[in-house]
Amino acid sequence: MPVSLRESVGLIADPRNLDATIEEVFDLMLGVHCTREPGPLAQEPEAVTAVVGFGGALSGACVFSMGISAALAIAGRMTGVEFAEVDDIVKDGVGEICNMLAGAWKGKVPELAAHCGLSVPAVITGSDYRLHVQAPEFQLRHRYRFDGASFAVTIVCDGLR
Amino acid sequence: MSEIRALIVDDSSVMRKIVERALRQAGLDLQPVHEAGNGAEALELLKAKQVDLILSDINMPAMDGLEFLRQIRARNLAPGVPVVMITTESSEEHVKQAILAGARGYIRKPFTAEQVKERVLPLLA
Repeated sequence: MPVSLRESVGLIADPRNLDATIEEVFDLMLGVHCTREPGPLAQEPEAVTAVVGFGGALSGACVFSMGISAALAIAGRMTGVEFAEVDDIVKDGVGEICNMLAGAWKGKVPELAAHCGLSVPAVITGSDYRLHVQAPEFQLRHRYRFDGASFAVTIVCDGLR
Repeated sequence: MSEIRALIVDDSSVMRKIVERALRQAGLDLQPVHEAGNGAEALELLKAKQVDLILSDINMPAMDGLEFLRQIRARNLAPGVPVVMITTESSEEHVKQAILAGARGYIRKPFTAEQVKERVLPLLA
């Protein structure tokens, strides 16, 4: 049976779902509490960004971006190991957190959980890039802080069935 | 509990270590832990190694976790060995597909070590 999520767009785009997702993933996987902060993410000369794509009933992406200090802190919390540079393990950890954020976010809406698939994570290093979406249905972008490090999570939806 | 030979399948090496840590926190004496980055690698490993427990992600490149489940049943690899899926995919449909393919348990990421203990230990009793 065809599934239409258009009637649920208000629920899907509810910013509280994103806040609840951050709290769940960071509490369970890193044991930290994040606070939401206003304003843009402070620019660091180099950055780490993980992207997980959505496909199916909703197309778009979950984008998890941060400076090096936050990436090192996240990987350190996940593994119990202190990292001095953004190596493959750090990128792997950041990508996996993005994967969990995308999965937990779509899991907040049952129709979305059932009919929206996830790509494997891609991780980008460097800050000289732009995310282009032609005509987004909606976009959520929140910034959070934990342990003195900050990160941003963007949910961009460019198609809804 | 006696020594358990575990196979952890996940494309994230960090997640493989986190799952291993959770199993040890659950009190399992893991001897040894085998790791694979996708279903195809895991199938190759099962041809050569015997294991007592398999934990597998679903979303992986090359061969996903559901196809891996179907293949181990079709090839009669690791007969009787419990397979637990650990994945971000949490819908009823995904759980149903996994159970139909032969999974004995399902753990949603993010998870706690306590959840791993609750879902895995009864399967080894």
